[in-house]
Amino acid sequence: MAIQNFNNEGEFVVLLKERNNKAFTYLYDNYSGALLSIIRQIISDNELSNDVLQEVFVNIWRRIETYDAAKGRLFTWMLNIARNASIDTLRSKNYQNSQKNQELADDVNSNNASLQFTQINVDNIGLKKILEKLKPEHRALIELAYFKGYTHEEIAQIENVPLGTVKTRIRNALLQLRAYLQ
Amino acid sequence: MNIDQYILSGIIESYVLGLASPEERAEFEAMCSAYPEIRKARDDFERSLENYFISSASSIKPAPGIKEKIFSQINAESSATQKQDSPAKVYPLQPVKTGWWRTLAVAAVLLLLFSTIMNYYFFTQYRKFSNKYEELASSQIQMASANQVLQTKLQDYESAMNMMKDPAMAIIKMNSVPTSPSPNSLATVYWDTRNKDVYLLANNLPATVTEKQYQLWAIVDGKPVDAGVVDIKEGLSFVKMKNIPRAQAFAITLEKKGGSSVPEGAMYVLGKVTG
Repeated sequence: MAIQNFNNEGEFVVLLKERNNKAFTYLYDNYSGALLSIIRQIISDNELSNDVLQEVFVNIWRRIETYDAAKGRLFTWMLNIARNASIDTLRSKNYQNSQKNQELADDVNSNNASLQFTQINVDNIGLKKILEKLKPEHRALIELAYFKGYTHEEIAQIENVPLGTVKTRIRNALLQLRAYLQ
Repeated sequence: MNIDQYILSGIIESYVLGLASPEERAEFEAMCSAYPEIRKARDDFERSLENYFISSASSIKPAPGIKEKIFSQINAESSATQKQDSPAKVYPLQPVKTGWWRTLAVAAVLLLLFSTIMNYYFFTQYRKFSNKYEELASSQIQMASANQVLQTKLQDYESAMNMMKDPAMAIIKMNSVPTSPSPNSLATVYWDTRNKDVYLLANNLPATVTEKQYQLWAIVDGKPVDAGVVDIKEGLSFVKMKNIPRAQAFAITLEKKGGSSVPEGAMYVLGKVTG
């Protein structure tokens, strides 16, 4: 992904911080698909995930001042906003009621159910596609940590494995993920 | 753990994907600013993640109308901000990122203000104490001169006292004569029997007017001999008169200034030399 119409990312960020409309249009045209893909990997509902995208994009516009290039790339920052907003929606009471707790309950309570990503119709995009290549025990942990937003302590309880093991497995899973990305 | 091991520990991936704990994040950010190679490894991972997301999501499109919804909301907020702010440029009211230099500038301004206040305070204190010092210095000079006057007086009294208690000093008391203009007049001659020096002490004589002086006479074989003139001043004072080798009596008359060769004015006191 290149920001071809702008000299470099730094200049582009300056325009965004000035609330330049052209820069935001460019941002939307080039990143909305990728941001929607991460949202849809967490929230399967199509209409709801579009609502979250709208919320995410408005939040990017509102919070662009807080973006610090020293801490990471713009896409990483936006990706985390999208992931956090999706997990917040996932955990909201409205969403849980609408889903009748089915999916979440299955994933959390059953050791095998957490591997069944097939019920999400976007499993061939984004990180989920890579997750297919991971070992099952690694995949489950990434699913809980990254797509459900559980802390390592919560995962240790859910999966009934020691905290140290959770940490080691997640680190290993992440390293494999990186290898697939490159 | 060396840098290479740290890079391969999985911390980069958990930081970038938002899975690191606050402590891990703080440590990783510190490591990134200390080691460019860690920052480069992070940047590499971020780029590969970004490229992967963009390419794998190429078929994903937001629902139609979402873009319009987003931009109408943004523009509404933008114009609301513009109305509040200056019409020229939009500076977001919040959140404002405050750099360390801004904190430093605020601190510097506060420090300057404090310093100015302290300068004014110290300057007024200085002025106050400077004035006080000058007052003290002048009063000290006054006291020193007053002290000198007292010293001189004390020396006079001391020499008078020494003369009075000297056993070789003949004391001739001169009482008021019946014809004296001032009936209670009294004066004393101290006559050194060794060198015949004469000292006069005016115990009680009226103050002289400017053109007049008292004249002391030594009565030698019935004739008055001039023994000098004297002014009567405040306080007790001995006045050294002329040397008189021989006399039977002493007397004081009021004469014209500078004295007379023979007594012309009224006699005030007279005392005979005894022994």
